[in-house]
Amino acid sequence: MMVFISRIFKFSLQDIGRNLGLSFMTVMILVLMLLSVNALWSVRVITNEAISAVKDQVNVSVYFSSAASDNNIAEINKYVASFPEVVDIKMQSAEEVLASFKQRHSQSSDIINALGELDANPFGPTMIIKTREPGDYKKIIQALNVPEYDNLIEAKSFDEHESAIEKIQNITNRAESGVAGLVILFAAISFLIVFNTIRSAINTQKIEIGIKRLVGASNWFIRGPYVVESVVFSLISLLINIAVLYLALSFVDPYLAVVFPNNFSLTNYYNSHILYVFGVQFVCVLALTILSSILAMRKQLRI
Amino acid sequence: MIIVEGITKIYSTDSVALRDVSLNIKAGEFVSIIGQSGSGKTTFTKLLIAEERPTKGKIKIGDWDISDIKTNEIPFLRRQIGMIFQDYKLLPQKTVYENVSFALEVAGEKGPRIHQIVPQLLDVVGLSDRHDRYPQQLSGGEQQRVAIARSLAHRPKIIVADEPTGNLDTINAEEIIQILKKINEFGTTVLLLTHNREVVNSLRRRVITLHDGHLILDQEAGKYIL
Repeated sequence: MMVFISRIFKFSLQDIGRNLGLSFMTVMILVLMLLSVNALWSVRVITNEAISAVKDQVNVSVYFSSAASDNNIAEINKYVASFPEVVDIKMQSAEEVLASFKQRHSQSSDIINALGELDANPFGPTMIIKTREPGDYKKIIQALNVPEYDNLIEAKSFDEHESAIEKIQNITNRAESGVAGLVILFAAISFLIVFNTIRSAINTQKIEIGIKRLVGASNWFIRGPYVVESVVFSLISLLINIAVLYLALSFVDPYLAVVFPNNFSLTNYYNSHILYVFGVQFVCVLALTILSSILAMRKQLRI
Repeated sequence: MIIVEGITKIYSTDSVALRDVSLNIKAGEFVSIIGQSGSGKTTFTKLLIAEERPTKGKIKIGDWDISDIKTNEIPFLRRQIGMIFQDYKLLPQKTVYENVSFALEVAGEKGPRIHQIVPQLLDVVGLSDRHDRYPQQLSGGEQQRVAIARSLAHRPKIIVADEPTGNLDTINAEEIIQILKKINEFGTTVLLLTHNREVVNSLRRRVITLHDGHLILDQEAGKYIL
């Protein structure tokens, strides 16, 4: 068995070396396919990052009336936190809300003067809620729209944000399905290109395959070197792809740093997902090349 | 011993390659199978190496009935029959040495044994000094000699030569026939499929004549009569 395996490896490396032009072209096609996939993958990552940045800007504020005691607020806080959709709750005291209001309107002397006319702090404490998805806000607000909270909650900011949140939700859904559609389209095109490249490469060796059969080679002995070649081509193309990708990222990342202020960079993304991203790509390319070569040879190996 | 019993091969209703052919070939015989193009010679070869299956009838090689041979047994059959073709069928990306050793490698022969056998085979066909050449660097006669060396790699009991001189000049053709005769003298059964009248007449061995799929003549020490 070991003799057969070592010979399959030997013939495979011999074939690669003696058909350098064909090997080079096959690897280049695979590299182009992988680069296209990674370009799309990067677009998807950037889109998701942009969407989540927008989502991060959206929250719902619940303004408590002065009638709400600390116990009432704590109870409502606990109730809201019990929803699985809620990811974060921030509380602002009445003083913090006043300070924040003053800072926001520091340029508007009319508003500041009007505020000075009042004897007491007009603001109550505020609860700022963040949910997983913009669509979840409606559920939280509805949960708070109960009679026992009517005199405790003065206002909720959701009504003002409702249409904006719905728009964001629509854009998010469309962007995600658009990118998913593109990924499927690219995958289909890539499959056809790679399949035809490998089929053409194997067809050029049709006579050789026939001769190998005539001298008594088993189907697996004939198929083996092509399978090993698929592994080698997949590995080489993946390594070239990684090198080209990281080079491209070094040019793209400075521009992304300007757009995304939260230290987002594609290089960081790929570094932290390196095994997953390139592992999946390697397995897919390998499966594609092996499947293509087996399908392409099926006819020639038939008796 | 090759036993052929009532073999018929029908490709389609209007294409019948062999019709009820029966013959026996004893071990160690040198048999020429002659016939014009389309007479069924090539189909007969294909049936012998299980490249085609008979529509009707039986073929036995020794005690082995290969009429219904299983797919996974075919490589073993082909390692027992040495094949020589008109167009040599050498692997263009492999050297002379590698072409011969390939036949042994597919059978799982150990490396040291291969290194021992291949030079001997190349010596038999007079190509020891060309072992590192590629087929395209050789003349037609030399390429055919490589094919003969390869066909002998498994020390087969049977050699089937399908028009081995078809692409060669008279001198090279004569050399190839002499090699085949030499192989036959060592006890190997040789089946020569040809339509080369001079070669057949000079051999004075058994001649089987096929015409339109029928076996029409089987002569001991026969001549080319068509």
